[in-house]
Parts: sequence; structure tokens; C-alpha cells
Amino acid sequence: MAMKLRSVILLGLALSAGVAPAAADSIAEKTEVCAGCHGADGKPVDKTTPVIWGQLTGYIYIQLRDFKRGDRKSEIMQPIASAFEKDEMLAIAEYFSQKKWPDLGQPRAPKDVSRKATDAEHSVGCTGCHLEQFQGTSTAPRLAGQSREYLAKTMADFRTRARGNNPGMSDLMIATPESDLAALAEFLAGL
Amino acid sequence: MNRLSIGGYAALLGLACYLPATAYAQQEVKQDSVGPVGTANVTPVTQAMLDAADKNATNFLLTNGNYAQTRFHPAKQINQKNVKNLHVAWIYQTDVKESLETSPIVVDGVMFVTTSYSHVYALDAKTGRELWHYNHKMGPITTYCCGPNNRGVQVLNDMVYLATLDAKLVALSAKTGDVVWKTDIADPELGYSETMAPTVVKDKVLIGTNGGEYGIRGFVRAYDAKTGKQLWNFNTIPDSSVGVWATKDATGRDMHRDIAAEKEALAKNGDPFAKLGGGVWQNPAVDLATNRIYFVVGNPSPDLDGSTRPGDNLYTDSLVSLDLETGKYVCHFQYIAHDVWDLDAVSPPVLVDVKDKSGKVVPGVLHAGKTGHIYVHDRKDCSLIRFSEAMVPQENMWVLPTKEGARMLPGANGGVEWSPIATDPSQSLAYAINLHQPMTYRVENSPYPNGKLWLGGAFTAIPGEKQSGNITAVDYNTGKIKWQVKTPEPMIGGILATAGGLVFTGEGNGKFAAYNSADGKELWSFRAGAGVNAPPSSYMVGGKQYIVVGAGGNTQVNFKRGNNIIAFTLD
Repeated sequence: MAMKLRSVILLGLALSAGVAPAAADSIAEKTEVCAGCHGADGKPVDKTTPVIWGQLTGYIYIQLRDFKRGDRKSEIMQPIASAFEKDEMLAIAEYFSQKKWPDLGQPRAPKDVSRKATDAEHSVGCTGCHLEQFQGTSTAPRLAGQSREYLAKTMADFRTRARGNNPGMSDLMIATPESDLAALAEFLAGL
Repeated sequence: MNRLSIGGYAALLGLACYLPATAYAQQEVKQDSVGPVGTANVTPVTQAMLDAADKNATNFLLTNGNYAQTRFHPAKQINQKNVKNLHVAWIYQTDVKESLETSPIVVDGVMFVTTSYSHVYALDAKTGRELWHYNHKMGPITTYCCGPNNRGVQVLNDMVYLATLDAKLVALSAKTGDVVWKTDIADPELGYSETMAPTVVKDKVLIGTNGGEYGIRGFVRAYDAKTGKQLWNFNTIPDSSVGVWATKDATGRDMHRDIAAEKEALAKNGDPFAKLGGGVWQNPAVDLATNRIYFVVGNPSPDLDGSTRPGDNLYTDSLVSLDLETGKYVCHFQYIAHDVWDLDAVSPPVLVDVKDKSGKVVPGVLHAGKTGHIYVHDRKDCSLIRFSEAMVPQENMWVLPTKEGARMLPGANGGVEWSPIATDPSQSLAYAINLHQPMTYRVENSPYPNGKLWLGGAFTAIPGEKQSGNITAVDYNTGKIKWQVKTPEPMIGGILATAGGLVFTGEGNGKFAAYNSADGKELWSFRAGAGVNAPPSSYMVGGKQYIVVGAGGNTQVNFKRGNNIIAFTLD
């Protein structure tokens, strides 16, 4: 109730300040479709779909841009992203980045798995871009707490270049032994 | 046993309650407020002050101490005899706990430091008190290699100059930290970013660019210090980047190039100059006598795959000199043509007088390479006079990267990374910090990815092979190693030499130490609790000499992060 009341007051303020409600509606409208896969509460419906709530603005924008360009392939995302211009993509990216990262309830990786993952990480230097706590920065995404299945699929797709919009990541994943990928996914998901 | 129990505290509290109010009034001590003051009373920095920075024991006015970039500070109050008494004067904790590469600048008791994500702080250099804080509003898109670093600012007159991660050049009021002007340098979406400190000279702000891992076309530019208007641009990749088809590196070793295949690729695809990389990570040295600047250019894009970029890939992996007024080319020397190992040129060049091959003293240029050599050049034409003994193990050079991975030393971080060297001309010594990271080099082929990471393969640390580092003093008139101190981890950050006969440098494990600059004997050390991976500075205020350094760890080599600026002094 308190939230609803505040929303009404805010809407009133917005109207009185001359803010067009259409603009406010449009971001909600534009992102309504996202909940179908990425979850109405930020928890993706399918485990191979990524968490985008709380993900970084720069990264979400670049992915939307690349879906539109066709650099990243997805039968679902390409038509959706193709409808947007740069400023809309940035607004959507900003909108999701402000949401709270959901807790998927994934357990911490056991010590032996963590050790295997950190050894693999040290070899290619994941933290050089994703930073020490794997929280990412700007166009390098947050990996900590991402869905384990999505992480595993993405790393595998980078290896085969099925995920084609970051050849540098493909090179790094190709240089990582395939036997380390499951440990990496489990470790990152459990952070 | 000396700790008070809860009961003890309660008893003290009870006693305090019974003290008459007048007793408190008599003992009242007025304290400064905790927050920032909001203004800094900064002496305007004139060009004459900057020109004479090498003789100024009070201040530290340029990122590498002076325009020659010697990182030799003339203060000698702290010396070999008393350095054992060095202790913390103050610690300032910034708001950003991430890779810290700042080189503190000090102007008559006011210090300027930066952090990752392009924050700037003005501090009281005597007390560490915050005077103001500039929190850069970062654009949504930044693209960069090796951490969200910033290596510092420079001051000219009453302005502080900063280059930001989202590729902007910003002039701040030195007094308040307010923005005076802001200029877009390049588009971060295409892989451009800024981490270096600008060099400001004769009303020009000189700046390079990062982006060699993203297929940029590198540059060095001069902007008007008063307005931010671009004055000249020098493309570090010329329209004709092919060169002379050099088959040997600067030391005469064969690089195993397939020149015929490269010529075929050139005929088929043309000159690859437009996406060839060539970032400039570190500051140019300025020769005030000849009005020339000297800087080094980084690796070609993509780093490890040469098949898409036939030719020498000029001026990547090179020392380059330009005319300061016009930005016109003067001379260059390429260390590695058609580099496929990312063993590029990053550490800033230093101008000192050196002996040429005949023993005659001539104006020289030093550069410490990722290869582990210190190269000694003639300043007149950039030509190579000599190169030093290797400071790190070299094995299997120059084996070509393969799909399976080929082992070669040094690893792709060096040798000497971006870390500036220091020199002591009275001993003709150059001091460098080195990494030793055994790696395998792998090659992959992929087309230009529109501003994304474009490595053309991967260099990977070899699991189980021990990494280490060292501090090495090289006699640049002979090329011989004078002394070397081995460190347990690879070294990245920087080093400072002083007239007190000392060198100061830090390690990723948090150790910060002073060494006898003549023989490398350790004379003092301190544990900072986070990686000391930044170049130290020295200054004087209130008649006392201080040494200051950032302890915030490092993204690139993943050393423990922190957020401390620590100043040391004697009793």
C-alpha cells in the first residue's frame, strides 16, 4: 500500500512537472516483453537465459547493439533489439542495471572446484576485465551469481564461436581446457 | 592482558559522568571537521617551474618527476643512513578500492592523486587531509584493457589535467576541482580509453590513447591547455605501415617472419593501417633544448595474429620522436617489427646523457622493454646505441605462436610492463622492475570485431611454473647489470631514485622497500596490506622530506586491492 501511494504521488509530481507520462510508459512497455524470459522478478524462466537485472549498463547496451547488427545470434533477441535505436538501447540498459541482482540460490562451489576454477582463471586472467570479485565493469559483464547453466553454455558457445560477438573471449575460452569449464561455471555461479 | 574488560570501560564511564562540567571545558580540544575542506590553496605552476622540475626538491611536478622522466628526486634528507627510521606520516583512504597506479603530484604542500575510474583527489601533503574530490561522471560505455586504471594528473598554472577511462580530456580548477573544460578525445565504443596522465608543456596538453587490444588506430595529440581545442594529431600508425620487411629484432635475433606470405596478404588486402592498434600508454619525454618529444608505441592489433596485418606494422613497438610545436615526425626506431607476442613498448622513455659506441657523451634516450632489455638510443636520430643484458630469463625467442600454444619467455607482460624506470645519472644507472611469467602463446584468426577485444589468440600463464620478479640496476653506458634483487612475485608499478642514494619500489604482496641505489642492499621496508603497484613520489613540506606511494593492488596481475595513499617521513 505504501508503495502504491508513493507511486501515485510520484506520478502526480511528474505530471505537474511537465514530464510526459508517455515516456515513462514507453520504457515499461519496451521492457515488458523481457520478463517473459528474463523473469518478472529478475530470475530467468529458463536456466540458460541470463540474469539481466543488475547487469551493467554498458554490457547490456553492447549486447542489444550486437543483436541488432547480427553480430550476436538469437532468434528471439534479434527481432526485439532490431526495433530499438541507440538511445533506446541505452535507456533499457540503464533501466535493468538499476534493478537488484536476484539471488538464484546457487550454492558456493566446494573448495576443490573453486581451486580448479581459480587456477584456470589465473592462466587466462579473467579478472583483468571482469575484475577481482567478478562484478564486471561497464562493457565487461558481471559474472558473480550468474546462472550456472547460462555460464556453461556461454563459455561453450565462445569456444565454438557460436557466440560470435566477442572473438577475444572466444580466443581465451579456446585457450582454456574444456575440462575446466564446468568448474568455472560452478565457481562463478556460487559467488 | 592490557585490554580493558567491559567492566573496566563501565567504571571509566562512571567516573567520567561524575566529572564536573568545568573540567571538560578546560580540556576541550577543537578538532578539524572530518569532511573535505572544499578548496586547495595551490601555488600556480608556471612553465618555468616545470622546466626546472628536475632541480626542485620541494615538489614532484610531473608524473615521472621532470620532462626528462628520470624519476630522480633531488631531496636527500632521507638517506642511506637514516632511512631505517622512516615511518608512516599519514594514510589517506580513497573511495575506490581497485587497481591503483597513480603517480602523486605535489605542488607546494598540495598533493594530487587519482584512482581507478578517473577520480581525482587534492590532499594536504603534510597531513593527508582531503581538500577536494573530483568524481568523474563516467559515460555508460568504456572499453579498456588491464583494469579501470588512472596513472595521474599534471598541473599547469591553476588547472589540473586529467584523461578519463571514457576517453575524455578534462581540465579542473586546481583550487576547487570544478570542471573548467572537457573535450572528447575518441569514441570508447570503438575501443579507445585513457589511463595515462597527460603531459602538459608550453600550453599544450599531450595525450596518447589505449586500445591496441581493440583494433583502434593509435595517436598522440596536443590540445590547447586553455581551451581544450585540438592543436595537432599524430597517427602512430602511418598510412603506409609496411616498413622495410625487417626480419630481425633490435637485438639481431630472427623473428621467423614469412615475408612471402605477408607480401601476398598485402597485395590481396592492402595496408592494414586503419585498425592496426598502436596505443600509447605512457607519457612522452620532452627535450626542452630541441623542442622534441619522445614516446613509445604499443602493440599491433590483433596482438598475436599477424596474418591479417602484413608488413612491419609501423610504428608499433617503436620509439618515436616528434616536433613539439607541430606534431611532425622526426625519427623512430622499431624494436620488434610485425610483433606477434605483445612484447611491445610501454614503459616511458627517459632522456639522459649517454656514452655512444665511441665513448663520446651524447644526448640519449632510454627505454625499458617488455623483452627485458634496456635500450639506449641516440636522441638525434633515434638510432640504437646498445641494449642491456636481459634482466629476465629469455627462452625460445622468437618462436611463433601456434594453435596449440608455444612456450616462450618472457611472457607477454614482460620484462618491464608500463612501469616507469628511474635513473641516477651520477652513477649512470637505470633502475627497472621486471616480471617473470612463463607463458604459452597461441594464435587464432578472427575478423575485426567492431571495437571488441581482438587478441588474435591468447597468452596463458603456464600452470605449475613459478612466477617471480626483480629489481635491476643497469649501467646504461655499458649495458651491464650492476645489481639485481629477486622478488617472490612479478613486479609492476614503478620505482623512484633519490639524491639520498636510495631507490624505493613496491611489490604485489604489499611490501614497500628502500634499497641502496649503488648495490641494491635493502635498508628499510613496510607492509602496506595491499599491493604496492604504483610509482612512488618524493617531496618536502615544512622542512621535512616525504615519500608517498599508492597501495591499491593491480588488476592486470591481480594483486590484492586496497585504496590507500601512504606518506612516509622521518621523526
